[in-house]
Amino acid sequence: MPGDHRRIRGPEESQPPQLYAADEDEAPVARDSTRLRPVYARAGLLSQAKGSAYLEAGGTKVLCAVSGPRQVEGGERGSGPAGAGGEAPAALRGRLLCDFRRAPFSGRRRRAPPGGGEERELALALQEALEPAVRLGRYPRAQLEVSALLLEDGGSALAAALTAASLALADAGIEMYDLVVGCGLSRAPGPAPIWLLDPTLLEEERAAASLTVALMPVLNQVAGLLGSGEGGPTESWAEAVRLGLEGCQRLYPVLQQCLVRAARRRGTAAPP
Amino acid sequence: MASVALSEAEKVYIVHGVQEDLRVDGRGCEDYRCVEVETDVVSNTSGSARVKLGHTDILVGVKAEMGTPKLEKPNEGYLEFFVDCSANATPEFEGRGGDDLGTEIANTLYRIFNNKSSVDLKSLCISPREHCWILYVDVLLLECGGNLFDAISIAVKAALFNTRIPKVRVLEDEEGSKDIELSDDPYDCIRLSVENVPCIVTLCKIGYRHVVDATLQEEACSLASLLVSVTSKGVVTCMRKVGKGSLDPESIFEMMETGKRVGKVLHASLQSLLHKEESLGPKRQKVGFLG
Repeated sequence: MPGDHRRIRGPEESQPPQLYAADEDEAPVARDSTRLRPVYARAGLLSQAKGSAYLEAGGTKVLCAVSGPRQVEGGERGSGPAGAGGEAPAALRGRLLCDFRRAPFSGRRRRAPPGGGEERELALALQEALEPAVRLGRYPRAQLEVSALLLEDGGSALAAALTAASLALADAGIEMYDLVVGCGLSRAPGPAPIWLLDPTLLEEERAAASLTVALMPVLNQVAGLLGSGEGGPTESWAEAVRLGLEGCQRLYPVLQQCLVRAARRRGTAAPP
Repeated sequence: MASVALSEAEKVYIVHGVQEDLRVDGRGCEDYRCVEVETDVVSNTSGSARVKLGHTDILVGVKAEMGTPKLEKPNEGYLEFFVDCSANATPEFEGRGGDDLGTEIANTLYRIFNNKSSVDLKSLCISPREHCWILYVDVLLLECGGNLFDAISIAVKAALFNTRIPKVRVLEDEEGSKDIELSDDPYDCIRLSVENVPCIVTLCKIGYRHVVDATLQEEACSLASLLVSVTSKGVVTCMRKVGKGSLDPESIFEMMETGKRVGKVLHASLQSLLHKEESLGPKRQKVGFLG
């Protein structure tokens, strides 16, 4: 919103008071490193979107909507080389456009909507994780738009957004090979660090390294992987990936039930 | 990235060759192409490097400027990355075409440097909360011949090795006002330690095996790649899956091991090369852009 000139103007730069507050020193509560927070998922809640899903895991709340397939002009490249596996030529395949947004009130500090590099990076991560699962060859010259909105960040936001996005795609009736389930992990700093599954915001902020894994449970294929930090040797990262994949498998039945309930709701609500 | 048109037969040829550990140009699956590194090519920068990896040509310039530290980290300086994909690299980068790829590469660079041990940021601090050195690392993509991330990370490491930051002193007046004084000797500068700066190794999955340093043609045959950022000690700082396809969990573990192995060798040879170049002294013959 442009500056309001009629009211009294505040200082040019302002910072939240928490920055100057004494360190709260809230040590994260010791917990079982493989526990997953209870998940609430609901599909098919937005009337204006083709498919939608809302996912809540602990304090993380994410809402995802899918629109399309919409026809897009762009066949100027002609017939490109066919993709591996005998699918439609590259120029005829559909496109998946992902958008990731944080609400300004989602974190501790207010972030104005054009979030810059981080949101672009997470949107690209979403796209790279969802593409293996969606049968884009069945939507030639079309475009699918997936937009994820993070309402509150309570830790493992990208993982929740991935799961919500694939639920929304399934709810929209887009042809997919499998659902994509996301799981977040973080490693606490310290001499004997262990990887924690599904970290809370506090654990994530104090983490030395964090990782998000996206798995297609039935096919047992890793659709997405994004991690950074001082994770240590490769054995440590391999252990983290294994833990994450296990977490994704455990989450799958919840999502299946959510889609079944949404389909039933759609069936009873359908006009005669 | 730049696309290349391959026929079905060419793809099959490349895939079958890789299964036998034989690539089109005769390399093995874990071999790099011939790398040429030269530092100090641009005179107006604090440090610069040029890397030629096969047909991929990268130019990196580092400029050190004074600024205010970030609020959350008042005792440290920081690095800012900017990647420019020029239209010379490939016609697809004309106009705004290269912006997406540029942001993706810049975000990856931020991610690999986003930990305490890569660069000693405390040495970039001049006076806490007031002044610090900001290193603007600008990457210019001159030619795109496959395997961009690896070449860019090698160039960034070489440029940071070459960076010379002038020594400054903070003088305090009686009133308490601070003055920054630059030392008189232009060669009096601090150097950054690049021992722990990571390098990216991209492993492309082709068929059942994975290859290091893929050319454009090999990248077109690969559906998924794993990008691993390794330091010289074998510590992994970043991992990312790139591409439209999915990866088997077992292949991910294999690719990580290969990445670590190859990364260590890469670091060793790059380190020895940089030290050798420096030992030639300021009178060495510069090849520049004509070689």
